[in-house]
Amino acid sequence: MTVIWTQDGIVEDDPWSQPESEGGPKLLPLAEALDHAQDNAPFGVVLQPADDVRALAPILERVAIVALTFPAFSDGRAFSQAMLLRERLGYQGEMRAVGTVLLDQVPLMLRTGFDSFEVEHAPTIKRLAEKRLPGIDLHYQPAADETRAGPGYSWRRTAMLNG
Amino acid sequence: MYRYDEFDHAFVAARVSQFRDQVERRLTGEISEDAFKPLRLMNGVYLQLHAYMLRVAVPYGTLDSRQMRKLAHIARTYDRGYGHFTTRQNIQYNWPKLSDIPAILEELAEVEMHAIQTSGNCIRNVTADHFAGAAADEVADPRPYAEILRQWSSVHPEFSFLPRKFKIAVTAAERDRAAIQTHDIGLQLKKNDQGELGFAVWIGGGQGRTPILAKKVRDFLPEADLLSYVTAIMRVYNLHGRRDNKYKARIKILVHETGVEQLSAEIEAEWQHLKDGELKLPEADIAAINAYFEPPKLAPRAEGWGELAAWKKSDPGFADWVGRNVAPHRHPDYAMVTISLKPIGGIPGDASAAQMDAVARLAEEFAHDEIRVTHEQNLVLPHVALADLEPLYRALLADGLATANAGLITDIIACPGLDYCALANARSIPVAQEISNRFGDPARQAEIGDLKIKISGCINACGHHHVGHIGILGVEKKGAELYQISLGGSGDENASIGQITGRGFEPHQITDAIETIVDTYLAQRSSTEETFIECYRRIGADPFKAALYSSEAEAA
Amino acid sequence: MKTASTKTKVLTANRLTDGIAVWLGANGEWTTSLKEAFLARHDDAVAAIEAAGQQALDDNRVVDVNVIEVEETEAGPRPFRLRERIRSDGPTIDYAPAFTAGVSHAA
Repeated sequence: MTVIWTQDGIVEDDPWSQPESEGGPKLLPLAEALDHAQDNAPFGVVLQPADDVRALAPILERVAIVALTFPAFSDGRAFSQAMLLRERLGYQGEMRAVGTVLLDQVPLMLRTGFDSFEVEHAPTIKRLAEKRLPGIDLHYQPAADETRAGPGYSWRRTAMLNG
Repeated sequence: MYRYDEFDHAFVAARVSQFRDQVERRLTGEISEDAFKPLRLMNGVYLQLHAYMLRVAVPYGTLDSRQMRKLAHIARTYDRGYGHFTTRQNIQYNWPKLSDIPAILEELAEVEMHAIQTSGNCIRNVTADHFAGAAADEVADPRPYAEILRQWSSVHPEFSFLPRKFKIAVTAAERDRAAIQTHDIGLQLKKNDQGELGFAVWIGGGQGRTPILAKKVRDFLPEADLLSYVTAIMRVYNLHGRRDNKYKARIKILVHETGVEQLSAEIEAEWQHLKDGELKLPEADIAAINAYFEPPKLAPRAEGWGELAAWKKSDPGFADWVGRNVAPHRHPDYAMVTISLKPIGGIPGDASAAQMDAVARLAEEFAHDEIRVTHEQNLVLPHVALADLEPLYRALLADGLATANAGLITDIIACPGLDYCALANARSIPVAQEISNRFGDPARQAEIGDLKIKISGCINACGHHHVGHIGILGVEKKGAELYQISLGGSGDENASIGQITGRGFEPHQITDAIETIVDTYLAQRSSTEETFIECYRRIGADPFKAALYSSEAEAA
Repeated sequence: MKTASTKTKVLTANRLTDGIAVWLGANGEWTTSLKEAFLARHDDAVAAIEAAGQQALDDNRVVDVNVIEVEETEAGPRPFRLRERIRSDGPTIDYAPAFTAGVSHAA
């Protein structure tokens, strides 16, 4: 079973994972999202790894959620897409990881600005529900997450709070 | 050398527990091998033919004696009493149990070492000139910058799942001993006209199936911009590098297919957004890291000059060793000593636990506690007084570490090959051993002079065969081993990719073929001063090909 | 090649906990000696060892499971591929004198 997880826990009744036939709002591919930007209904965007996130800049204010796709654990393009969305485009809405979401990648996804996760693997869901993230609270580089300046050198950061 | 502060200790401890948790999940079956493989690789754990293999990082090849003793201890306690120093300045253990690896990592953490990012599609151990901090020809020590890159790249959230592995090398001398042109990013530390430090930046070098030399994208990048500029390169590569074919996934292919001008423009455009951001390096931080690499206080030892001359006169073996393995230090009373891990007929790069302990002891006694690992699979004591060379030599001799062959034909680079490696198609080590035995006579080696033979057991080119003066590539053909020869490669500041001579040689023919090449060189060289590579560049491949293949043509 | 199915086959893998090369024995246990491997001489037997391999993989006892072809000799099964001969006999070089001396001394 697929669930949506955020730092607040498992999300019940996530509107974006309702089937469209049941009235759920739409996650649109990039091209369609650019076309629908003038509509009034809320919409989200689902991007593929090859999409240029910068194309969203003109419509970003109207986007309710951006889902970035990990077609396989080894395809890390969405990490850079996430960084560009948060740091370059200043996007502040929900950013969801969809596709292959491995437990051990979730801490890295949180650092690059993801805040919701579509997860299928049962042991992963269990660990996330228990908030047992396999991450490290000390970082050697700034990213898109909220951190404190680390001790020692300008590039270091520490997590604001554990988990 | 760099010392961990509390932050580093806590980070590595956290990384060890993270990996312990990953191993436990694997052993209990919570995660499958498919899910575990990328996790173990990112911590240097491979599955090879006979067992797991653990690759331990030796950042920019720098060790102290405490660390070397720990490596010996691990070899003895968790492995079969030896380790293998690699072409990326790391060390590999060939027989650790998966269930022991968390304990090994804990032991390594005690001496400020780890296995982070020694494999996987991430930024690998940053390598540097093995003479850094001692060489007379460097503008500054490049290792502080390698250390800054090491820290910044550790568990990088954006760049841990790149299209392919990513290797960065740093040098600070015109004579390139770090082979920067064969790296994904090559950095040459230099000074501009104002005397400020910065980097010439090269991208897109690599070996493997498609060897390509790096292209220069920046003539002078101010040192403060190091991390922001490397981030820009990494981001462009992460987004645009090919992911459809692992043999086309390295940045060299992106550079080649996009064109260096366009790719460089994309990097510059990305960098414009980053350069004044939080990655800009403050002067104080650069200075603080540099302070760790302060050279040792070397007292004048002028008495060594006279003693050295006398010892050389009385012991030809010692004189040979000084001639080959000892290089001038920037302090006139000192020298840089190469400890050859290439005994005649031995396994290139292997060292027993006893030898590691011996090197640790000698580093303490004679070399200000500093040891380096070279990409040529040797060790270096970078600060030895001339006055201490003779006792050092005696001690090395006792432990089988005084082979006087640095840079000679028996100083062979070889990957582990099919004796260990799950990727290999042919053996490398026995080929190296046979060549070493054939040319092992000191007089014969000296007559031949500088000649780099590099052997890989598959197209991944861990043995750097593309940049060997003589390169040997093992392939599998109809179920048997076959060895292709290439000539004219070089990994230094005059880098070049070797050219294949023609059809390959069977295992029993390969040493004869090497001998034919060497004899051709000896017959063709303009004088004893002309090295093999100089001669090859002057006369080209044809005389060598003729010698290798003509008898066969006549026979046919 | 269809004719390949007439060649004798054995099942090999590496143990999960220590990575040591193992072969599936006639008694259904994994053994560190190729000599004790179960020889699959016909298609049904090959299917059986493949199933056993999949089961052992699913049970997280072994990794990297492969069926390999061997030649039956007086000295025991001999893999056709050099790679598999090296997996069975160990590195072809005198790689750890201290270790191997210790072993033979103990034996």
